[in-house]
Amino acid sequence: MRGIAHIGAALTAIFMLSPLAILVIFCFSESPLLAFPIEGWSLRWFDKAFSDPQFTNAFRNSMIVTGAVGVTSTLTGTLAALALAKLPPRLATATAAALSLPVMVPPLLLGVALLTFYSTWIGLPLGLPAVILSHLVFTQPLVMLMISARMASFDHAAVEAARDLGASPIQSFFHVTLPMIGPSITGGALIAMALSLDDFLVTFFTIGGGMTLPTLMWGMLRKGIDPSVNVVAVTIMGLSIAATLIGFRLTRYRG
Amino acid sequence: MRQALRTASFQLLPGLAILAGLFLLPLSYFFVVSFWQVRTFRLRPDATLEQYARVFTEYGGTLVWTLAIASLIAAVTAAIAFTYAHYCRFRAGRFGDALIFLSLVTLFGGYLAKIYMWKTILGGTGALNSALMVLGLTSEPIPALLFSPFAVIVTLTHYCLPLAVLPIYGALRGLDDTAIEAARDLGASGPRIFRDLILAQARGGLTAAFALTLVITAADYVTPLMVGGPSSNMIGLFIQSQFGNRLNSPLGSAMAFVTIACCGLIALFLSLTLRALTRPRT
Repeated sequence: MRGIAHIGAALTAIFMLSPLAILVIFCFSESPLLAFPIEGWSLRWFDKAFSDPQFTNAFRNSMIVTGAVGVTSTLTGTLAALALAKLPPRLATATAAALSLPVMVPPLLLGVALLTFYSTWIGLPLGLPAVILSHLVFTQPLVMLMISARMASFDHAAVEAARDLGASPIQSFFHVTLPMIGPSITGGALIAMALSLDDFLVTFFTIGGGMTLPTLMWGMLRKGIDPSVNVVAVTIMGLSIAATLIGFRLTRYRG
Repeated sequence: MRQALRTASFQLLPGLAILAGLFLLPLSYFFVVSFWQVRTFRLRPDATLEQYARVFTEYGGTLVWTLAIASLIAAVTAAIAFTYAHYCRFRAGRFGDALIFLSLVTLFGGYLAKIYMWKTILGGTGALNSALMVLGLTSEPIPALLFSPFAVIVTLTHYCLPLAVLPIYGALRGLDDTAIEAARDLGASGPRIFRDLILAQARGGLTAAFALTLVITAADYVTPLMVGGPSSNMIGLFIQSQFGNRLNSPLGSAMAFVTIACCGLIALFLSLTLRALTRPRT
């Protein structure tokens, strides 16, 4: 009985990890065929992808979107988390639930709803600014939730002590509150950026003609066999997992 | 206090503005559009239920098929996630945190990359067929692994699994070890503890995991397009095509809202069933 539990958990872990591991292996495979056994190793697909102007362009667009989304959602999410800590508990719970609503909507619905809203109602041209605005909707709640989790164990007496000792609200924020929640803010920002970088569905409907890394990858997948698509996939995966790892490490987030 | 509330409302302003302007307003508008019509390639305001009628008459079969396969995926995912989270919480000891961390990391491995990798793993020359042949379980590749409902189920289960582990693990972490010991000391059997303590505690997390998987799966179209065969046409494909070449956003909107509403009903049914199952008994 005990043995079965161990094997089951191990199999689940292998199931979760193996596709990601296989992708990394294929990136370094010499052969253009995605098949085992691997006959030789090379970096040629990295060379091919990185020298493609489409890749460079998509990479730059992804960095613009991710950067703008990271900064903006971190600002609004942090402010919201700070506000929640001041509200009466019931109002805070209700507000947090309302702000988290977008996370429960499937990205396809969010994408097509925003596309319809932008193009037939407010006349916002599709493109990077539209993508950035759209990503704020589902990244902001995550920043808020991660910082709220930290605020729950926050020592408010420290802030009050600073205020009693004559610090202005702004001084006490920068000298007391920020150093305490700072790592959580950075962590939340990195998670928001990982989500934004990886998003395909919402981006696909709101970008119009341009490309980010996921939409470039989609185009390559639709066209057929080009093994450098592995490199695009691994770039997205590597960047988002790296951001997540650092993010979770900073926030000490555990489930 | 009043001062604090005033600062709080100023701090909430940007967040609420994003929620209202880029979520509530667009979704409400999109819902209203489902009662409109497209005439001569233009969107015309109307108050018709025509689109909803079309969803049920023309796409009824697809909708039922989508909900069935999505419910199956959600059930399988929630079951695996529960087993895994249960193992991490009660059996894994000091490795529990590491195993949960592992699932968190795979959560961010890339949406398209995962679907694409399952396509290569399940393909004719893919890892799974190669492994089966090496083990001598089959003499030639099984073509049915890819482009089938099976491939859709495996791919989406893999995509949703880390997402489902989190709420269940979160719920189980709230369960105190002393409560279980107390129940055992008072003579409760293993199954009794499982149902009245562990399952009761995990109920909220299980429902959340199931509902999240259900709604993501039912509205996905990339997976059926990439790894599903002609028999796995899911509603997401038709929703998406209303905004591509078919240009009928009212119909697309009606399809999307009907799908979400059906998912809500299925999740509600599950939640009530679980509640009845874990009701405190005397």
